[in-house]
Amino acid sequence: MSALQTFMLVVDHDKEEAKRIAEGSAHDIEIKKVTLLDTVQSLGEYINDEDPILRGKAISFLTAIIQALSPKYLSRQQIQVLTTFFCDRIEDGGAVDGLQALQGLDRFNKFLATQVAQALFSNFQDLQSRSQTQRFHVYELLNDLMSNHRGAMRDMGDISLLGVVDIMTGEKDPRNLMIVFSILKVVMVEWDISNHVETLFDSVYNYFPITFRPPPNDPYGITAQDLKGRLQECISSTRHFAPHSIPALLDKLDSTSPNVKKDALNALIACIHLYDPDTVSRYSITIWGVLKFEILNAQEEFLSEASLEALQAIAQRLSEGVTEVSQELPLAKYLQPITKECNEQLREPQNKKANPAQSILSCVSAASPVSFVLVVQTVVPPIFTLYQEADGIVKQRALLETLNVLFDSATTVFGQWTTRGGEAAIENPLLEFKDQFSDLFGQVLMGAAKEEVSFRVTALKGFLRLSTLRDYFQENEIGLFVQYLDEILLKEESVGRDDLKKEAIAALAEISKHKPRLIVDITFPAFVATLPEEDEGSDARYLPTLETLAQISVERDIFETLFRRLFSKLSVLLQKEEPGSVAYPRAILATLLYVMQQRNMEQDQSVDLYFDKVVVGLCRDVAASASGKTKNRILNDPTVLDTLGRLCNLLVRSVSIQKQEQVAENVYSLFSAAGDFVPLPFTQTREADRERTIIISTYLLAGLSKDYGNKIPHTDPDMAGLLLDLIYRCVLSTEPATHQAYLRHLALLVNKFLSKQDVPIAERLIDSLLEGENTELQSLSPPIIRTIFWLSKALILRLAPATTHILTSLLALLSSPDQETSATAAQGFSIILGEDDIISATNGATIRLLCRQRLFTTVIPLISTRIREVNIAGTDGSHPTPKAPDHIKPAHLTALAGILSTIPTALVMPELPTLLPLLLQSLDLQTADSVAVRTATLDTLAVIILDNGVTVIDRCGHVQSLVTRLLKTTSTNIGPGAVNSPRLRADALKCLNLLATHQVPGAASNAPPGISPLLPVKNQVLRSLRAVLDDPKRNVRKAAVDARAAWLRCVDDAPDEEE
Amino acid sequence: MAEMQNSNPTILNAADLPTRLRPTTTRKSEYGGIFTSALPLAPVDFESPPSSDSEDDNLLEEPIDEQEIYDLISSISDPEHPISLGELAVVSLPDIMIKPTLPDVPDSPLQTVTVLITPTITHCSLATVIGLGVRVRLEQSLPSRFRMDVRIKEGTHSTGDEVNKQLADKERVAAALENGALMGVIAKMMETCH
Repeated sequence: MSALQTFMLVVDHDKEEAKRIAEGSAHDIEIKKVTLLDTVQSLGEYINDEDPILRGKAISFLTAIIQALSPKYLSRQQIQVLTTFFCDRIEDGGAVDGLQALQGLDRFNKFLATQVAQALFSNFQDLQSRSQTQRFHVYELLNDLMSNHRGAMRDMGDISLLGVVDIMTGEKDPRNLMIVFSILKVVMVEWDISNHVETLFDSVYNYFPITFRPPPNDPYGITAQDLKGRLQECISSTRHFAPHSIPALLDKLDSTSPNVKKDALNALIACIHLYDPDTVSRYSITIWGVLKFEILNAQEEFLSEASLEALQAIAQRLSEGVTEVSQELPLAKYLQPITKECNEQLREPQNKKANPAQSILSCVSAASPVSFVLVVQTVVPPIFTLYQEADGIVKQRALLETLNVLFDSATTVFGQWTTRGGEAAIENPLLEFKDQFSDLFGQVLMGAAKEEVSFRVTALKGFLRLSTLRDYFQENEIGLFVQYLDEILLKEESVGRDDLKKEAIAALAEISKHKPRLIVDITFPAFVATLPEEDEGSDARYLPTLETLAQISVERDIFETLFRRLFSKLSVLLQKEEPGSVAYPRAILATLLYVMQQRNMEQDQSVDLYFDKVVVGLCRDVAASASGKTKNRILNDPTVLDTLGRLCNLLVRSVSIQKQEQVAENVYSLFSAAGDFVPLPFTQTREADRERTIIISTYLLAGLSKDYGNKIPHTDPDMAGLLLDLIYRCVLSTEPATHQAYLRHLALLVNKFLSKQDVPIAERLIDSLLEGENTELQSLSPPIIRTIFWLSKALILRLAPATTHILTSLLALLSSPDQETSATAAQGFSIILGEDDIISATNGATIRLLCRQRLFTTVIPLISTRIREVNIAGTDGSHPTPKAPDHIKPAHLTALAGILSTIPTALVMPELPTLLPLLLQSLDLQTADSVAVRTATLDTLAVIILDNGVTVIDRCGHVQSLVTRLLKTTSTNIGPGAVNSPRLRADALKCLNLLATHQVPGAASNAPPGISPLLPVKNQVLRSLRAVLDDPKRNVRKAAVDARAAWLRCVDDAPDEEE
Repeated sequence: MAEMQNSNPTILNAADLPTRLRPTTTRKSEYGGIFTSALPLAPVDFESPPSSDSEDDNLLEEPIDEQEIYDLISSISDPEHPISLGELAVVSLPDIMIKPTLPDVPDSPLQTVTVLITPTITHCSLATVIGLGVRVRLEQSLPSRFRMDVRIKEGTHSTGDEVNKQLADKERVAAALENGALMGVIAKMMETCH
């Protein structure tokens, strides 16, 4: 059998084999075993066959050979012969592919391209009656001709233009349309289309609007948006379309479908961006006439937004190249009816349509400097007149708001003080009204009645915009505004929610970015002057002042001033014999801390100065104070030490390596000279003042990088001694602040600085603490339990080898017959993964990613099993196990709640079937001491419902039992000894609300698919909630109203069929 | 949608609507303001978290008052505009009254809520729908010991008496609530309630 015959036999079912055969033949030709002519002639008996399939296969053989030949093999003449051959049989299968292969060759010329195109146009008049694949191949060939031989195609002129339009007319397949649209776009942009504008436009516009919806699992992945994009590119491709496209698109805005309108607006915007300005100008007023209805009577927000975008785009196009303002500009003609309409609407500025009118002014005035000038010229003077005639504050405020909108546009057009470059060539038209604005806004801000808060806030916002507007106000004019703000903050009494003061602080903070000098020169002296020497009374009037200073001092220069001023205040306080309340120095430290947290201290060049003053200087003072060598006891106060510690911690993290080393060496000596202060470790002291220095030491240690562990005193050759000393202190210390610091200090050393090979030291310490158990009562004292948990936290976070062993030991404590041991241990479980300011990622603690998962998967099954044991032992009389003490089950549930509050729900979900019964049992607890557990449980449930919807609960079969328990928790009247706090009641209602609004995972959904699993309990819920509507607490009632409304609205027997 | 009856009504600024002022924060902790973020309370382990609702607070009763009624109904949307009844001043705080239903029986828990509605224009045909919406919202949200009395404010509507008669007629209200289309409109109005 010849190669041809074999090919024809296999081509239908084995493409690979067919390809191999063709490659063999191609090889034979290349090595001159056979000639190309022979091969073509061998097709002879088939290519004239009656059967088109047979003919197609024969041609395909030739095509496959050509595709397999090396691109340089065919001579110009051979290409020509083959092209003619294929063109003659173009309707036979495979010929189009053959041509496609040929046109890609270098020796294929312009003349041949024309020949192929003509063959396509004359033979495929009936293209639309052929299969999708065939059409696809024809379009691909055409597309390749367009990209490889565009000149030849273009020279064909109208022939190719009409030819393309003819063969694609009626095409419906989305894949084909994607190619067709891109071919047509080339024609539209590059051909002379003047004689056929309408034909060409209609050929694409017929497809508008695209209503295609891809079938599910569409292998081609073409979306409606892809098609819309290509179609839009065609419509907006040439200005010649304007007479057709713009009226047609505007007509489409009469459609009742918002989606059609949206497509029309998007296409319109594209046209505005791509047609030339003259064309845009011709239609600008017509477009405004139609779009104004979309904006003034907005149906859907996105339509009005798109319409505004279109209006702005027109103004931008019409501003191109315009450098001088004149009323003769097309831009001016376009803006005229717009400003007229807006002025009309703004006559009653408190009415509904004034708002869209403001939006229109906002978008057109922000389009360009010239546009801004034209708008201001016609809009601002009437506003002044209206303002003078206005009969009430409501109207006046609405007018000020309109001005504020224009100020925003001015900022867009002319920039702010901090804007770099891009100065507009045109003068800001608002300069003309500068004094008027300053008077008007100043008078409203300071002159209006004090209770007209929103009026004054509006004025304040306007004044602020003008103050930050580039090259507008003089320094002294902004200074005046700053003085107004100072006066509001320092002299005025609070009114209502204090909105004005909040805005004033925000305004000062904003100005501090643009004009820091004004803040330093005007605000600082005024504010610092009001700070007292010491806190004499209880009214703490310095707090609002410090809060304000903190918020406006983030800029570098201002912060330096703030630091200097506050640090000297603090130094004076530390020297006083009677310094008043420690709250004041603490507030000063808190202010510095707040600002440093807002700034990037590592980048601050003065960080070393702050380090020397605060870390070195104040720590030395702390040491002195601990030894009783200071004039007062400010630095003996635990709250002051805590705040100072945080400040040191932040600074230590920000300083250089050398300074870090210095800190490591001074962790306990606190930078004091050897004789002045005896560092704490290994001393026998029990003096509270001395012990309190551990607070500072802990914060210093926390800020230290892991790398300097070896510089810490008492760690050579290992930490065993230091750790033991700390454990001893943890257990014996009585003052809470000191105790907490010891615990964290211990954990920090074990988690962050203990080397890997020394980890067993810490593990052994836990075991020995556990062994200290009082064997008779199986009890441990609370301080020992706390020490155990903090050590465990340190080890579990770094996933020490003994993690599982530690967790099992901790769980065993819960079953202790001693009630106190069990309850204390139960509360400890929230510590293990709980967020902590000291053992934190920021401080470089070792926190392994998998530790949460490890803890959860280890502990949950154990708790679940234990609770089941307890339940069975209680109920089943025949069972030999004695009933466990009553406190054991609540202890396990408390531990569970503690763990859940520190675990992301994603981890919880796989365990939900095990977990849900436990959570329900937690809700069954009723006493006052279980309130915390129940609150935590409700929080967990809320997150589960929020993320996963009702379905997961339904799948476990617990909807009914969950709803019943939630309802029980909402009740105020549940019998003796039982307590549902208001917070619990509100939380339970929130869960009920979430059940109704999150029936489908993730998004809130109004129409659940099928019948809701909540339906069987709907009546029960509505009935019970009716009683909760009379709860004595307002926020509970509010939650009940919302939950009830959600159940009424969202829980339905069948999905809405209308939509 | 039919032609709007009042396409350009006056709107009150949301910031000016009556709200319940938070009880002046008795500064329990020294730092009520911004420093709380800088200074989390000193950590407390192994102790029940400082519960914000202490015993005293829990026992303090907060009776339902006019502001609460206002908050329930002011966020209902107008059927014509996507704007709330509060912003349109259709409902206002001084036009809400709560009185004992039986003043002669001092122990009776029954109370009557009176809400007067001010339509945006005097010939608004949607006044009945608005009244019905307010009524439905109150019935869904108030305990059963409350009686509702929703009326058009005197002199603000050309056919006020007619509308009031419809709103007061229990059977007609019940019949209206069976009407799917009408309930659809009312459900839409209440979507914005929060």
